[in-house]
Amino acid sequence: MNDKTSITGRRNFMKKLLGGTAVTAAATGALVSFAKSPAGEDAKPTKQYGMLIDTRKCIGCHSCSVACKAEFDVPLGSTRSWVEYVEKGSYPNVSRNFLPRLCNHCRHPQCVDVCPTDATYKRPQDGIVVIDTGLCIGCKYCIQACPYDARFLNPVTGFADKCDFCIHRVSKGLEPACVNSCIGGARIFGDISDPESEISRLMATNPVTVLRPGKGTEPNVYYIAADDSGEHENNRGWYDVRITTHRREKERR
Amino acid sequence: MYELNWGLPVILYLFLAGLGAGAVTVSGSVLLRKGGFGSSRFAVARCGALIGPIPVMLGTFLIVFELGQPFRALNLFKVINLSPMSIGSWLLAAFIVFSLLYALTFLPRSAGPGDRLAKFRRILAWICVPSGISVALYTGIMLGAMPARPFWNSPILAGLFLLSALSSGVAAIILVGVFSRRKSSDPVIRNDHHHSSYLLTASDALLLGGELVIIFLFLLFAQLTIGDVRYAVATILPGGRLGLAFWVLVVGFGVLIPFVIEIIQIRPKLLNGGVFKSITAIEVAVPILILIGGFALRYVVVIAGQITAPSAL
Repeated sequence: MNDKTSITGRRNFMKKLLGGTAVTAAATGALVSFAKSPAGEDAKPTKQYGMLIDTRKCIGCHSCSVACKAEFDVPLGSTRSWVEYVEKGSYPNVSRNFLPRLCNHCRHPQCVDVCPTDATYKRPQDGIVVIDTGLCIGCKYCIQACPYDARFLNPVTGFADKCDFCIHRVSKGLEPACVNSCIGGARIFGDISDPESEISRLMATNPVTVLRPGKGTEPNVYYIAADDSGEHENNRGWYDVRITTHRREKERR
Repeated sequence: MYELNWGLPVILYLFLAGLGAGAVTVSGSVLLRKGGFGSSRFAVARCGALIGPIPVMLGTFLIVFELGQPFRALNLFKVINLSPMSIGSWLLAAFIVFSLLYALTFLPRSAGPGDRLAKFRRILAWICVPSGISVALYTGIMLGAMPARPFWNSPILAGLFLLSALSSGVAAIILVGVFSRRKSSDPVIRNDHHHSSYLLTASDALLLGGELVIIFLFLLFAQLTIGDVRYAVATILPGGRLGLAFWVLVVGFGVLIPFVIEIIQIRPKLLNGGVFKSITAIEVAVPILILIGGFALRYVVVIAGQITAPSAL
């Protein structure tokens, strides 16, 4: 008799425990789906524009930076697209590499996650991260959150600003201004979700890297032969690394 | 030079919002608790309630005008999303409204325990305590939300901001209390001043002790890791670019010296059941040190976060 009650008691306890677990799991599930949907993490864009930069072909002429400046009339001292020089070593063993930079149009853009007004968002139709200046309040939170320092506060408009892959050109079937002006053919622009596109074929047949992969942003700007030596290597004292950003008011971060 | 996108207005806002939220939270807790403060409970609660909304509104004014286009701030209230700044804006707006109403209940000349506003005041206190804690917390969460800023990207930063906010709130109440309650014409309030002062000092010592633990953990776990966080936190270690400001102003002035003085002050009563004497000079000096430290903490954290970055290319 005693045994029986203890067994029923245990059964009831197990039932309650299972019920409780189910409720908790359902609540957690709801919370997780709520947490994920606004950030658009699971919403895979139907198309994803991307760029592949072959640094072996870059000669550091800055024509991309100039074309970008001219295309958007970017205010003095600000840059949407720029070229960094990475100088390494001490004479006679030295090298200089060029690193063209722009917004990475990440798969998990941190700037979108932190924007309090939904002014910046990733377009579902082509995966371009854009800024709606009608909603932007200039709080600079996105500028803080970008691991690539791709954003800046436009001193003329007072809104956050950055590369938008030249939406106005791309939507008319043209290449972005920086791609169009690259004399070495170092920049390849295209739809990386289409396996037949030129960019996809080159990415499949070359070793490619992205910048700061450890930040988990999954950038859509890829590099061939980009040296990842940074200024932190000066701490090791083996060889000197010097990076020139060519952005007047911005130190590399 | 590194670009400082968030400068003095934001630093001041973080400090002032924490100070005000802390004062209102402490005031609400004092009003709602059962025992302890005796007849001076209402005076202490009144003090915190009347101080609180002023710095919060001043800080809000500063960040709204820091945008350059103040009316743009209304866009924050067109939407609510999971950005800490979005949730924080709604919390801040609600907190300003409720803390103002709460302060108003203390304003009438007839205001006192058990008056006709007493019930309303208690309901507002129940709202102000959690919303004050939320406002103090969100400022730290807002900074901590970004992997791109290794110095800020720590869950313990919000805890440090919360304790610092509560401690600043208690400090402001003690400081103002020196001038208002001690000089009160009511002899009961004047006599109870020593007792309420003991409770406030003891709570403040507890909060400062908590801050010391969190600062220790923050530094310890930065040292126990490798890479970005370790490089970033090196800026506030001795010899770092902000090392002097951090150790002298934040740890020394803001936490350690007030903590030691307060412990010495409360020790006879706390451990041996002796008498607690409230000394005016100390009740002016210690809160001022704590407020300097609270500002210095926001200053060091906001600047250190912006002059450090991930180390990889």
